[in-house]
Amino acid sequence: MWTKIKWGIRILLVLIVGLFLHYTLPQRDVVQIINTYNKNTPIGGNWMFYSIEDTGTGVETTATIRDIRFIDAVYADGTSVMVYRNEDTGWFWPPYFKWDSSTLQAEAQNLKSDKTNPQWVAITHYGWRLPIFSIFPNAVNVTPVDGPDVRLIPWLNLILLGVIAFVVVMIRKMWLQFRERMVDPTLADVGDTFDAAGARVDAARKEARGFFGRIGAWMNTWRAKK
Amino acid sequence: MGWLRLAFFMYVGLTIIYFVTGIYSRSVRREKLEKEWDTDPAREGVPAAERAVFIEDGMVHYDKGLKKRLLWLIYILPTIGFLATIYFINWH
Repeated sequence: MWTKIKWGIRILLVLIVGLFLHYTLPQRDVVQIINTYNKNTPIGGNWMFYSIEDTGTGVETTATIRDIRFIDAVYADGTSVMVYRNEDTGWFWPPYFKWDSSTLQAEAQNLKSDKTNPQWVAITHYGWRLPIFSIFPNAVNVTPVDGPDVRLIPWLNLILLGVIAFVVVMIRKMWLQFRERMVDPTLADVGDTFDAAGARVDAARKEARGFFGRIGAWMNTWRAKK
Repeated sequence: MGWLRLAFFMYVGLTIIYFVTGIYSRSVRREKLEKEWDTDPAREGVPAAERAVFIEDGMVHYDKGLKKRLLWLIYILPTIGFLATIYFINWH
């Protein structure tokens, strides 16, 4: 029972972290831009997937309707499409620090093409298109590419994931070092005292079992001795 | 004003990370010195006071060394990342 709950929590955590990274990290689509426009967009419960209010994207006509720039694009297969919003990001999250929505819109407009003479571009973006919540990925960069089959290697994502993995490993190493140098020696002292007392050894061992048991036992060593 | 708030919280966070990493790095160095002394057969039976002096010398050496200065990268690298992001998103 407990193992199942533990695994459930672990899987849930991995899922949440994975989705969070998938939403936040930049991705590139090779597409053809077919239209660029502004639209007054009502924002309600889906505010979390739009820029925070003080970024000044377009005109905020009221508190809940915003004038947002959009870019329509079509993928190489010629039928599947994607709609990007083009909004400044704020000073917090996601940390893209984008203030050039107007410039980006002009670049997108300049790279617009029709089916007979397609201009292929790589649109860097983050976010998801979920029609049910009316949310759109935010375009952050647009660059012309040679053709629809160009191979783009996500160097930035590789580096960022590497950095995240390094940080996780370092936190683990720090925790193990802390336990080895601080928690375990004090526990050993406690053990010695209890050995002298004899009968209470088992109780101490039981207490010092597992992750939180160790922390608890270490905390107990700070309590006033009776 | 948004950038001031972000910079403030970022450097507060980095300062915490700097100190925690500093403590960790010192701890690792101390353990290495202890093991170096304890595994050396020539030093068997030498009084504990000399061991303490050896370790303290090693720690003084560490405080002046390159490794400790490398910890400043904890401030430098995120700042570079921050500026590089702003440059590549808006001016590139």
